[in-house]
Amino acid sequence: MKEFAVFWGCTIQARFPFIEKSTRIVLEAFGLPYRDIDGFTCCPEKSLVNNIDHAAFVLTAARNVALVDELGVDLVSPCTGCVSNLATVKCELNANPKEKSEVNSLLKEVGREFTGKSKLHHLVPFFHDAVGILAIKQRMKRDFSGMKIALHYGCHMIRPSHALRNDDPLNPQKFDNLIRAMGAESLQFLTKLMCCGQGLDRIDEHDKALHFARIKLRELKSIGADALVLCCPSCFLQFDNNQFLMEKEGEKFGIPVIYFTELLGLSMGYTAEELGMTAHRVEVEPFIKKWESMADRPPREEAIEAGLNGPNLIG
Amino acid sequence: MLEATLNLKLLEMCSKCGACFSICPSCMHIPGYDPRAVINDILDGNYEKWLTSRHIWQCLECHHCLEICYQHYGFENAMAALRTIAAKRGIHPTQLKRGWEMFVKTSRLGEPALPARKKLGLPEPKASGADEFKKLLSLLKEKREKKKK
Repeated sequence: MKEFAVFWGCTIQARFPFIEKSTRIVLEAFGLPYRDIDGFTCCPEKSLVNNIDHAAFVLTAARNVALVDELGVDLVSPCTGCVSNLATVKCELNANPKEKSEVNSLLKEVGREFTGKSKLHHLVPFFHDAVGILAIKQRMKRDFSGMKIALHYGCHMIRPSHALRNDDPLNPQKFDNLIRAMGAESLQFLTKLMCCGQGLDRIDEHDKALHFARIKLRELKSIGADALVLCCPSCFLQFDNNQFLMEKEGEKFGIPVIYFTELLGLSMGYTAEELGMTAHRVEVEPFIKKWESMADRPPREEAIEAGLNGPNLIG
Repeated sequence: MLEATLNLKLLEMCSKCGACFSICPSCMHIPGYDPRAVINDILDGNYEKWLTSRHIWQCLECHHCLEICYQHYGFENAMAALRTIAAKRGIHPTQLKRGWEMFVKTSRLGEPALPARKKLGLPEPKASGADEFKKLLSLLKEKREKKKK
């Protein structure tokens, strides 16, 4: 596997360092060739920067991509927004030689060059495509069979598709495949692909942001989801933090919000404490408790062994 | 001004379609949010009134409209173009400006949370590229000023 740099992004490092913790744990456990590199800035965030100054948006993203271009490594990020913004700019520049040379004439002044050769991956499709479901199954100690999981892809994991090219933008499958490989049921529900609405919190519309969170959480409660699983710090903020705020006002949903890397870590035998999940604002206890209560089922290996060597259809 | 950033021919097609309206989360959940009205006003040359509207900021940039659009265009482009003009005139949500200022000043939207990192046993965060970033922004500014002259 090609070496890759991890792009953590501002939100994970500033607000949710425990997400960095669980991501490092799983990257280490899989022995993946990752490294941390100097010099990254904000990706930059689209709604804040692109709306005010498109050229600054492109230049900043191009510089970040140039850092990995120079090292000849790829880039993987556990942040949905970061990948999407970097890939959008990479796509724009690769499709527009004139703009690319203008950007490069500025980058040259600081000794950098954007070539756009490195691949930019979101962690989830990266695990699906590059690590693979078989490798995940081999490292799992315990699966999640019997657990009902609601997935939230996060818009920018898969869109815009012309820049990311990693899944069907309107009917994505890869995250579902990973959850099913971990033995859980991936619930299908009306608001599955609905945007989390966190962006509304960034434009001084907190009530509307809560309203968006409420729509999805209400549906999840009604279909009996054990957890909402996602892989985007912005969506995490929306569903964990804003759910907590609603709980404080007496509106209780009780839907634990779990990061993809945390779920993977749990299945590999790490505890919720080791993975930093105790820092969540909405309790993850109900999910862990239900999962633990199912622990007396025979372990996977025994079930497979029994299927192969015990009495079966052949005799 | 809008002609420079928008493809009005494609928008003309948009005004007769509206496929995006049935998939856009803001259309579904924010009363009065209707980009079809915005598109028609842009085509009629009456876009000014939208610059002060909350609606242009309520586009979540989820790109659903782009993906469902048979032109792969989507009204997000129209909303983004209006936001850019509004922001240039200083009409924008206050939080947006705060975020932009922090970005320009520090190259990031927040600094790594050091005490929490220590508690979690995370390594020292890598150096940011703030100095180089600031130099690039000033180069961009210089280039723009030269162009004006």
